[in-house]
Amino acid sequence: MNNNEFDVIIIGGGITGAGTQRDCAMRGLRTLLIERSDIATGATGRNHGLLHSGARYAVNDPESAEECIKENMIIRRIASHCVEECDGLFITLPEDDLGYQQTFVDACRNAGINAEIIEPDLARRLEPSVNPDLIGAVKVPDCSVDPFRLCAANMLDAKLRGGQVRLHTTVTGFIREGDTIKGVHTLNRQTGETADYYARIVVNAGGIWGHDIAALAGVNIGMFPAKGSLLIFAHRVNGRVINRCRKPSNADILVPGDTVCIIGTTSTRVPFEECDNVAVTPDEVNLLITEGAKLCPSLLSTRILRAYAGVRPLVSADNDPSGRNISRGIVCLDHEERDSIKGFITITGGKLTSYRLMAEIATDMVCRKLGVDKACETAVTPLPGSEENSYEAVAQKIWEAPTTAQKAAASRMGTRASRIRTDDRRDDDLICECEEVSVGEINAAIDRLDVSTLTDLRRRTRVGMGTCQGEFCACRAAGLLAKAHGCVEKEREDIAKFMQERWKGNFPIGWGDTLREAEYTQWVYKHVLGL
Amino acid sequence: MKFDTIIIGGGLAGLTAGISLQKEGLKCAIVTTGQNALHFFSGTFESVKEPSQRMTELFSEAGIRVHYSEGVRLMPLGTFSEADLSLEDVSLFPQPKIGRKALVVNLTGYHDFFSSFIAEGLEKQGLECRIRFLSLPEFSPFSAMRSADIARKMDQAWEKVVQEVRLLIKDEDTVVLPQVFGLTDPSVPGRIRQGLPAQVAFVGTMPPSVPGIRTQIQLKKRFEVLGGTYLMGDMVENAHVHDGRVHSVVTKNLDQHYLEADSFILASGGFFSKGLKSNPFEVSEPVFGLDVDFDSDRNTWYNPSFASDQPYMNYGVKTDSALRACRDGVAIENLYAIGSVLGNTRPEFGSGAGLAIRSAFAATDEILKNRKA
Repeated sequence: MNNNEFDVIIIGGGITGAGTQRDCAMRGLRTLLIERSDIATGATGRNHGLLHSGARYAVNDPESAEECIKENMIIRRIASHCVEECDGLFITLPEDDLGYQQTFVDACRNAGINAEIIEPDLARRLEPSVNPDLIGAVKVPDCSVDPFRLCAANMLDAKLRGGQVRLHTTVTGFIREGDTIKGVHTLNRQTGETADYYARIVVNAGGIWGHDIAALAGVNIGMFPAKGSLLIFAHRVNGRVINRCRKPSNADILVPGDTVCIIGTTSTRVPFEECDNVAVTPDEVNLLITEGAKLCPSLLSTRILRAYAGVRPLVSADNDPSGRNISRGIVCLDHEERDSIKGFITITGGKLTSYRLMAEIATDMVCRKLGVDKACETAVTPLPGSEENSYEAVAQKIWEAPTTAQKAAASRMGTRASRIRTDDRRDDDLICECEEVSVGEINAAIDRLDVSTLTDLRRRTRVGMGTCQGEFCACRAAGLLAKAHGCVEKEREDIAKFMQERWKGNFPIGWGDTLREAEYTQWVYKHVLGL
Repeated sequence: MKFDTIIIGGGLAGLTAGISLQKEGLKCAIVTTGQNALHFFSGTFESVKEPSQRMTELFSEAGIRVHYSEGVRLMPLGTFSEADLSLEDVSLFPQPKIGRKALVVNLTGYHDFFSSFIAEGLEKQGLECRIRFLSLPEFSPFSAMRSADIARKMDQAWEKVVQEVRLLIKDEDTVVLPQVFGLTDPSVPGRIRQGLPAQVAFVGTMPPSVPGIRTQIQLKKRFEVLGGTYLMGDMVENAHVHDGRVHSVVTKNLDQHYLEADSFILASGGFFSKGLKSNPFEVSEPVFGLDVDFDSDRNTWYNPSFASDQPYMNYGVKTDSALRACRDGVAIENLYAIGSVLGNTRPEFGSGAGLAIRSAFAATDEILKNRKA
């Protein structure tokens, strides 16, 4: 086989693509993943970071609920360093119908979700941030998950098994022979180089952009871009996920994650042209704060860090062009069967929680087509970094008396924290003080995780995600990137792009302390640093 | 407690006003939280070129060494900005090609001085550059490497830096050093210049700004030597205003005592310093509830481009021609607003450090004029 020939090409570096590449690689296939931007830049990195227990779907979509609870239990095991087993509450407020609670609990139990009604008093003790007016509470096994970390770990595992990854590379067209897809034409968006890659099967895992990718192959998938907006708060006010015990609605989930918490979402249909640049509107911000404060009143006085939005890749059923029957379930399309185009499949729909199952379904289809007879093992094999359950234990093994920063690194990298260089004491110096990211951790990410820009680095290490929003760490980290890549001029532009990207999420919520920080940052970059 | 003038805010504007008034024999108190914009001062007095006689006096009497020459200054990310009046340890050059060969000196483990960016910026101008890292015994592998920590040690260690750099220099005509010298002794940057056989370009670091902290210390000292009262770590919480005049203010620490004065100066800074406050609906001034010039549609507060001028930075307290602050459309007779709390509502005074000093002079002139009358 030549260097540009593979068994499978996967288009899309979100969690579905990364998971599919890992599964394919574990079944012995030669894989190439192509992503036009960086990992987790679409819906993967633009959601709550909620590992659903399935409770939210139990009443209306029992199938999704069952799927979620099974996958939830699997992801806890295989991705322990990406998951925080924080549990969740579904609360009933005075304005809600308490009668719904029993329906909800029954539906959860039918789906296999361990839902337990608890006294409001106990709920207030378990979760002091919860709206004290609550009249009912149900405990469910929700978790929070770091989608960037999860995506990077899947891709890393694929690479360790021989998979290749091309980031910042766009598929510009398909190589066809008659009715068979043979490969793809690509363009590297950073170098301008073009390249052709060949494979026996091409998997379209492009999320909402899968619509355009399919169109390149002459296939129409009826997708419906649905924008969801969210707010990140600068402090973690809640220990557990807090949901409203009612029919799913806007802004009724508050998820804690690392040092922050996230309220969301809204749901608005947007045109395809907007998918690349969705913006959060002031009305959405108002709605998120007002509704969020009903779950947790202290949100009203908590600093908001960022506003952001993602686009869900919803798919209408094939016989329903009107889109009324939109499914949030997994959709795996065999384009040979559906459109008479061989060598091409699309995996879409679904959700972050069910990414592994989506990957399994897609990989099963790939294997059937390639005549590969090997069972899926992704449900039992831990991801790199997750070989140990407790990050405290991991940190202890590596450093004996770990500092808080080293523990933070272990919580982010899992067992792979052992790859952080420790021979030079200066490797422990902090680059990002908000998130406690060291020189060593950044260099480890640059070495192993396909980092070309500061924004890439942020997704892999949390640099710039904290309260200063990159003000102090961007230039420091850029210095390390410049050293690693040997290109200072590019790094200066990179700083400007990074700060622009941070500002994009700040100005929609630019008041109070956020505006104070922004004034400071903008002053420093313009007048002190000379950017 | 009774003063002639009470100044709210101890940054460049407040200290300039306090020094000017004390010099004229007025008894002033400055109420300040402690930190101010001087702590992230670039070392350059934005929008000021040749200093006026009065500025020169202000600086020289406080022991602050400034200079100005037409040209450029080298910025921390290796870019160049137009020269303005600057502290002596900000090097100004006639053009961006500041020399022939440069030795850029950093400290091992110091990530807040962007030596590679500076070297690349100079190379672009045709200079040959070498970057060297010094490892001084003062900075063990466990030292915090932030500008203020380094500067404290450099007060003792700067001569060693000179010795080490002398050994490193080959045929370079320019040495680039971080601005971490002379925290407490303003003569150090000049002595480093004398000690090296090449021209020295001091370039800024990530905040806090060492030259800025030093300037703040010098101005505060000058104010206190003149007999001024500097109430540090305190903030004004409430004010008594009636019949169109401020009569007294109440601070957090002195909550039992009214601070009374004939005139008051508000030098409380912009958003960062909390001189201006914002919520989703409005921008306000928290101490006196003054009128603020801002757009009621929040969507117009920002430019989506980070690098562009931001409309919110223009917002500030409304004043009359004598810099008296307005409330409900009427100027309060004895309350003057100066510095960043004005935003860009008084562009004739310049911006940044220039605005701070010029508006402070203007307000103190008004106070002195009224006193004589």
